[in-house]
Amino acid sequence: MRMLEHVYLIPLIPLVASFIILLAAPEDPHSPMPLVGIAAIGWCLIQSVAIFYGAVIGSIHIPYQMDWSWFSFGATIGGKPFLYDMPIGVLIDGAAVVMLVVVCLVSFLVQVYSLGYMHGDPHFKRYYAYLSFFTAAMLGLVVSSNLLVTFCCWELVGFSSYILIGFWFERAEPAYAAKKAFITTKLGDLGLYVALLLIFSLVGSFQIPQIAQFVAQGYMPAGAATAIGLGLLCGAAGKSAQFPLFIWLPDAMEGPTPVSALIHAATMVAAGIYLVAKCYFIYAASPIAMFAVAWAGALTALLAATMAVVCYDIKRVLAFSTVSQLGFMMCALGCWGYTAGLFHLTTHAAFKALLFLCAGSVIHAVHTNDMRQMGNLSKKMPFTALATFVGTCAITGIPFLSGWYSKDMILEQVYEYDPHLFFILALSAVLTAFYMFRLVFLTFTGTERDLERYRHAHESPWTMTVPLGILAALSIFSGAYLSHNHLFERLVHFDPPAGLMPRMNVAPPGLGGIVFAAVACAILFSYRLYGRHDFRLAEDLKRRLAPVFNLLERRYYLDDSFLALVDLGDRTAKMAFWIDSEVIDRIFVDGWDLLAQLAAQLGQLFDALFIDRMVDETGGLSVSVGGALRWLIRRGMIQEYLLWTAAVLSTLAFLIAWR
Amino acid sequence: MNLSLGHYLVLGAALFLIGLFGALTRRNVIGILMSIELMFNAANINLAAFNHYLHPGGVTGMTAALFVITVAAAEVVVGLALVLTIYRNSATAYVEDFHLLKG
Repeated sequence: MRMLEHVYLIPLIPLVASFIILLAAPEDPHSPMPLVGIAAIGWCLIQSVAIFYGAVIGSIHIPYQMDWSWFSFGATIGGKPFLYDMPIGVLIDGAAVVMLVVVCLVSFLVQVYSLGYMHGDPHFKRYYAYLSFFTAAMLGLVVSSNLLVTFCCWELVGFSSYILIGFWFERAEPAYAAKKAFITTKLGDLGLYVALLLIFSLVGSFQIPQIAQFVAQGYMPAGAATAIGLGLLCGAAGKSAQFPLFIWLPDAMEGPTPVSALIHAATMVAAGIYLVAKCYFIYAASPIAMFAVAWAGALTALLAATMAVVCYDIKRVLAFSTVSQLGFMMCALGCWGYTAGLFHLTTHAAFKALLFLCAGSVIHAVHTNDMRQMGNLSKKMPFTALATFVGTCAITGIPFLSGWYSKDMILEQVYEYDPHLFFILALSAVLTAFYMFRLVFLTFTGTERDLERYRHAHESPWTMTVPLGILAALSIFSGAYLSHNHLFERLVHFDPPAGLMPRMNVAPPGLGGIVFAAVACAILFSYRLYGRHDFRLAEDLKRRLAPVFNLLERRYYLDDSFLALVDLGDRTAKMAFWIDSEVIDRIFVDGWDLLAQLAAQLGQLFDALFIDRMVDETGGLSVSVGGALRWLIRRGMIQEYLLWTAAVLSTLAFLIAWR
Repeated sequence: MNLSLGHYLVLGAALFLIGLFGALTRRNVIGILMSIELMFNAANINLAAFNHYLHPGGVTGMTAALFVITVAAAEVVVGLALVLTIYRNSATAYVEDFHLLKG
C-alpha cells in the first residue's frame, strides 16, 4: 500500500463524509448516517497508523513533500511582469505524522463515544456532519505544506468549533459561548494574518520548505522574524487559549462533552502549538519571539492552574487544566524544547481526551456539571472512576505513566534554558496534582451529596466505555512506548542552525524526584481537604483566604476586563452613531434636503410666474384676437357678409386683371 | 354712332354694380331679391353681347342666358317663399332683424 503517496486522502475523506451525512439523509434522532463518519475516520486512522508505523521502522522517508499547482496570477515586480504559480500540497514531517495519528485516533474514539452520548438527540445526524467537517479541517491543517491553506483550515476549525460549541444553540449560554470563542480567537487570528502577509511580502511564497530555506540562508532580517514570530504567537494564543486570550475556553465547555474532548482538549487547541512548531525555524531566528513564547506559556500554565483550584464545574476544571497543559507545551517550545513540547502534546491528547470523556460519562449519568452534587460515584460507575483515576495519574505525572515522561522532559528542558521558568512550571505541576485529585475525590469518593442524582446514576453503555478503555490504556503505555529507545525524539526533532545553540544550565540529578515529592505532598493535601467525608477544613480555608478565592473565581477579572473593553467599543460605536445621526445627518443630509426644497420652491415660483404666464398669455392673445375678429365679422348681418364677399372677390378680380 | 361690345359690357357692369349696391344697402328683403335679379340680368346682357359679337351665328350664349332666366325664376320662387315664412314668423321684412344664424 502506498499510504504516504495518498496522504492527501486523509483530509478529503472526512470532508466528503461530512457532506454525504449533511445532504444524504433527513434529520432523524436514530439516523444510521454516523456510521459513514465513523467509517471515514476509521480509514484515516488506519492510513495514519500505517504511515506512523512506516516512519518508525524506517520504511518510508520523512519529511515527505508533494506539491500540485493550485492557481496562478500575473504580477508585476520591479517593472517586470511575471506569472506567479501558487502550489498546494502536503508536507509530512515527524510532527505531522504524530499529529495525524493523534487527531485521527481521538476523532475516531470520540465519534464512537458520541454514539452513546448523543443518542436520541434531535440533531444527531448534523452533529456527526459537523464532527467530520471539523476532522477534515484539522487534518488539512496538519498535512498542508502551504501556509495559506493552513490558514484556511485554521479558520475552518475555528468555524467548526463555533458551530459545535453552539450545537445546543436553543439555550442562551452555548450561543453566547460560541460567539465568545469565535470572536476571541479571531482577535488572535489578526496577528496570524499579519504574520502571513509579512511572510509573503518578504519571501514571496507560502511554502514552508521555501520559507525555511529563506530563513536558513539568513535573508530574513531579525526584526521581521520577531514580528512574524509574535504574530504567529498571537494566532496560537487565540487558538491554543494562551494568556490573555484563554477566556473563551472555559465557556466553550457549554458544547457537548465529546466535542470538548475532541476540539477543546486534544486537537484544535493543540493547533496553536502545532503552528508554532511548524514555523519553528522562524522562532529559531528570533530570540525575542522565542522568549515571548516561553513566558506566555509559563504564565498561562500558572494562571490557569490556580483558577482550576477553586472551580466546581467538572468540565471547567478540565478546561482550565487544558489551558494550563497547553501553557506547558508552549513554554517548552519557547525553551528550545521542540521535542518535549510535541511529546507532551501527544500524551496530553490521550489523557485529556480520556478525562473529558470520563467527565462526559459522569455528566451523562447525573445530569449536572457541579461537583458539589456528585460524590461516591465510584460505587455506581466503577469503570468510569477507574478510567478517571488513570487519566488523573497520567496528567499528574505519576511515574511510568505517559504524562510523567513528557512532563519530566519539559521540566528538564526548561530548567536547562531558564530556572525561573522551571519554578513557575513546577508550581503549576504541583497545583495540577492538587486540583486533579480534588476532582477525583469530589466526584467519586466521599458521601453522596445529592441522593436523587446518586440513585439515578448508572454506568454508561459500551459505546462510551470502550473508548474510555482504549484511551486509558494509551494514557498508561504511550509514554513508555514513545520514549523507548528515544523513538519519539528520532521521529520529531528540530536541528537548530549552527551558531544558535541555546544557553545551557545543567539540570541537577534528582530534579524529577524533588518535583515528584512536591506533587505527592499536593496529592496528600488534596486528600486531607476533599478526600474525607466532611470538608470543614476546606471550607475554613476558603473563608480565611476569601479575597484570593474571589480573585480566582472571577478569573483574575480578565473576563470583566475584556467585557469592559467590548463595552467601551460599544459605547464608542454608540457615540459615533449619535454623531452620525445627529450631526452629520442633520447637516449633510437634512441640510441638503432643505437646500433642495428651497431650490425647488424657487423653480416652481419661476415656473408659475414666468413660464406658465407666457403660455397663458399666448392662449389669451389668441382668444382676444378671435373675440375681436368675431365682433368684427360675425354679427348675423347678412349684408355685411355679402359686402365682405364682394370686397374680397373684387380685390381678387382686380389682382387677376392687373396681372 | 355704332354700338360696340364695349358699350354692352359697360352697360352690364353698370347694371351689376347697381344691383350689388342695392343688395348691400336695401334693408327690405324684397328689395334685395330685386337687386339680385338686376345682377342676373347684367350677366345675361354680357352673355348675349358676347354671343352676338364673338360668335355671330351661334346660339350658345343665348341658351346660357335663357338658362339663367329660368334658374333665376326658380330662385325667386324659393326666395319669396322663404321671405313669406320669415315674415309670418317674425313679422318683419328687414334683414337686420334676422340673426337666426348669429354664433
